[in-house]
Amino acid sequence: MKVTRRDLLVWSAGAAAGMLVTPVPWKLLDDVSIWSQNWPWIPQPARVPVEVKQSSCTLCPNGCGLRVRMAAGWPVGVAGVTMNPITRGALCPLAFGAHQLNWHSRRMRGVRHRGGISSWPEAHAALTKASEEGRTVVIDGYPGRAASSVLEQFALKRGGSYQVVLGSETRGLRPYENWTGVPATSLGYDLENAKTVVSFGAPLLDGWGVPGRFTRLWAERAADADDPQFRLIQIESSLSRTAARAWKWISIVEGSESTLAAGLARVLIEQKLVPARGPIPAVTVSDAAKRSGLTADQIQELARTIAAKRPALAISSDENPSIAALNVVLGSVGKKGGIVGRSRRDPARVTADKSISGARAVVVDASVPWDFVPETDAEVFRFAAWDGGSSKADWLLPAPGFLEDLTDVPSPPSAAGESYAVAPALTKATADVRSAAQLLVSIDSSLTSIDNIIHGRCAEIFRQRAGTLYGREIMPVAQIASADKLEEQLHNGAVWIGEPARAASFRCELKQWPSLAAAAEDPDWAEHWPVPMLPPLASKLYSESSLREAPARRNS
Amino acid sequence: MSARYGMVIDIDRCTGCGSCMVACAAENNVPTLPKATARTGLTPMLVRRVSNGREGNARRESFIPILCMHCEHDTPCVKVCPQQAVEVDKATGIVMQMPQRCLGCRYCMTACPYHARYFNWWDPAWPAGMEKSLNPGVSVRMRGVVEKCNLCHSRLHAAMEKAAAAGKKEIDPADYVPACVEACPTGAIHFGNLADPNDPVSREARSPNAFRLLARIGTEPKVYYKSKEAWVRALAESNAGREPEVQHG
Repeated sequence: MKVTRRDLLVWSAGAAAGMLVTPVPWKLLDDVSIWSQNWPWIPQPARVPVEVKQSSCTLCPNGCGLRVRMAAGWPVGVAGVTMNPITRGALCPLAFGAHQLNWHSRRMRGVRHRGGISSWPEAHAALTKASEEGRTVVIDGYPGRAASSVLEQFALKRGGSYQVVLGSETRGLRPYENWTGVPATSLGYDLENAKTVVSFGAPLLDGWGVPGRFTRLWAERAADADDPQFRLIQIESSLSRTAARAWKWISIVEGSESTLAAGLARVLIEQKLVPARGPIPAVTVSDAAKRSGLTADQIQELARTIAAKRPALAISSDENPSIAALNVVLGSVGKKGGIVGRSRRDPARVTADKSISGARAVVVDASVPWDFVPETDAEVFRFAAWDGGSSKADWLLPAPGFLEDLTDVPSPPSAAGESYAVAPALTKATADVRSAAQLLVSIDSSLTSIDNIIHGRCAEIFRQRAGTLYGREIMPVAQIASADKLEEQLHNGAVWIGEPARAASFRCELKQWPSLAAAAEDPDWAEHWPVPMLPPLASKLYSESSLREAPARRNS
Repeated sequence: MSARYGMVIDIDRCTGCGSCMVACAAENNVPTLPKATARTGLTPMLVRRVSNGREGNARRESFIPILCMHCEHDTPCVKVCPQQAVEVDKATGIVMQMPQRCLGCRYCMTACPYHARYFNWWDPAWPAGMEKSLNPGVSVRMRGVVEKCNLCHSRLHAAMEKAAAAGKKEIDPADYVPACVEACPTGAIHFGNLADPNDPVSREARSPNAFRLLARIGTEPKVYYKSKEAWVRALAESNAGREPEVQHG
């Protein structure tokens, strides 16, 4: 039989058609699919056992309890610690991706000097020379840590100055410091005992204070209830995430918070809704109504609502004497459910001013936010784990990143009570880094090291025999066998909680109503919005969802 | 083991913080995707902001976390997949996505009424060294495949291994908690076995304020929502991802 060209074509076409009804092409497709999903350049996670360690977050001063899953010496996952009595297992969204921050593309990896590449010995020599030649100003963002103590010792030994940059929660407490003499860093908000919280634009459910503290409190006592155990009243110009979940949202004209606070105080005093305390503000209800966009009736109704369920606590988004004075009128200062003083008084600190004169060197710790850019003729040594975009510092010095160095966590800025935790170095540094405290100790060996300060603080807690340790189990300090045992537990992620705050430990009286001009009413707040360093996965929040506008977009 | 794992999400407790989204992405080794947008990103858990459509003081907003609904009946994605890359696990009720089988045809994305499926438009990549921070329990998926929430299946496996090592047939419910549930700071997301009438989640799913998205299409989702707000419940029958076209009371 002769095979023709036509036979060959027919056979080929038939084979091709027949192949489609066999599993072969589908199997081939399947195999190609599997094969193409295993390219050698696609990273695969290491197949190693996972161990869990506890620590505290050091991204901000709140020090939330962390449960860190570690594989091959690297953190591979972060979750909250439910045993932590402050955060109770909650974290902010950024903490869940924080373990990736150390490889962020903006990680500071080398010493830079005026745009060029430099080295640690050169930076060491330059800071040594500058600190010997003149006054050194050291600026700290998280005062109260062991590292802060090193920074302060260095500044004072060299005849310089130790200054602090306070967060907005602590700045909100500054008026009370001026009126009572109690340092703002020793004051706190007793949210747990308040029955009405009046927030003037403070993002209480969006990153204010310790993230877990208020959100857990709100979820337990206020959410999903028509008449909640405590009422959250949000006074704000826009429907923020806090306003969306508040018991009441009062929409006002932006920048009228001080006037409204004064107007509310006047109604409270004139209608005898509270016992008369201090001077009557000059602002009338109609002034407040005109400025805030509310009606006089609405302001009077709001004042009655606030007075109906006390203790009532007014919280401002930043330093605002008028809102602080409203708390005085409400009788919420130095009282349970209001502004309370912690049992341990910190010394009063000098708040850093951006304009620094008469200094030879300025050392800016990595804890200081990037929006603090000193305006000075001095040589600026700026420590940072991640590059925040500043080119104004003479020296940019790479600092340890997330969980890369030993530090301690004193009481969070807005907390009512004392606490203490230790965050050990759980992971190797991904760059050649040193903290400001480490560099200063290497310059002046007479300074007490961070390890020794932490050791001393643990011994002090043990000596006082007060408070409770929350670790894998809850144990009063009085039952712990030795200071070393206590320190060991703190290094393993336990947190010490001191005795409850002494509510009535100070008095606050107003001689005159604060000037409204002194209140921080900043309609251009977006221009001053600090651009935080975000974990890479925060793109889920900022680019891939409608939840938030990115800070950069807000600024544009 | 025979369970029907599901969730009840209390919308009145959701503050829209996004912790669930970030925790989900970290747990499941979702790459950071610098070029991704709201349309092209990989967000197996996506919190959407919705409103009652009014303006001024009358405006109300809520946050609805959207994830794979793990449909029980006529699961749309399972029905259209030419590769059998999607199937409902009979032992758990979890709708499983097998990226190894996926061809990337995206029929399932078209079929999903909840827009809860995402396509890998890019090779998974991380900045140098960051691959060390990947979760060892979850494989990285390749460009060209569809992915979605699988209720943290790796955590279920870990719980099953732990139970097996202890000689038990059933897992301890405390050992299997998806990352989003663990991360929620207000406890708005509850997870449990809907097949167990005594499970708290099962009881919550039967509460008068519980509802499911697009219940009318009859896919029987295993993700329930809860809200006291009538306008939120009314949204459940429209597209939860968009602003409502009509105003709700």
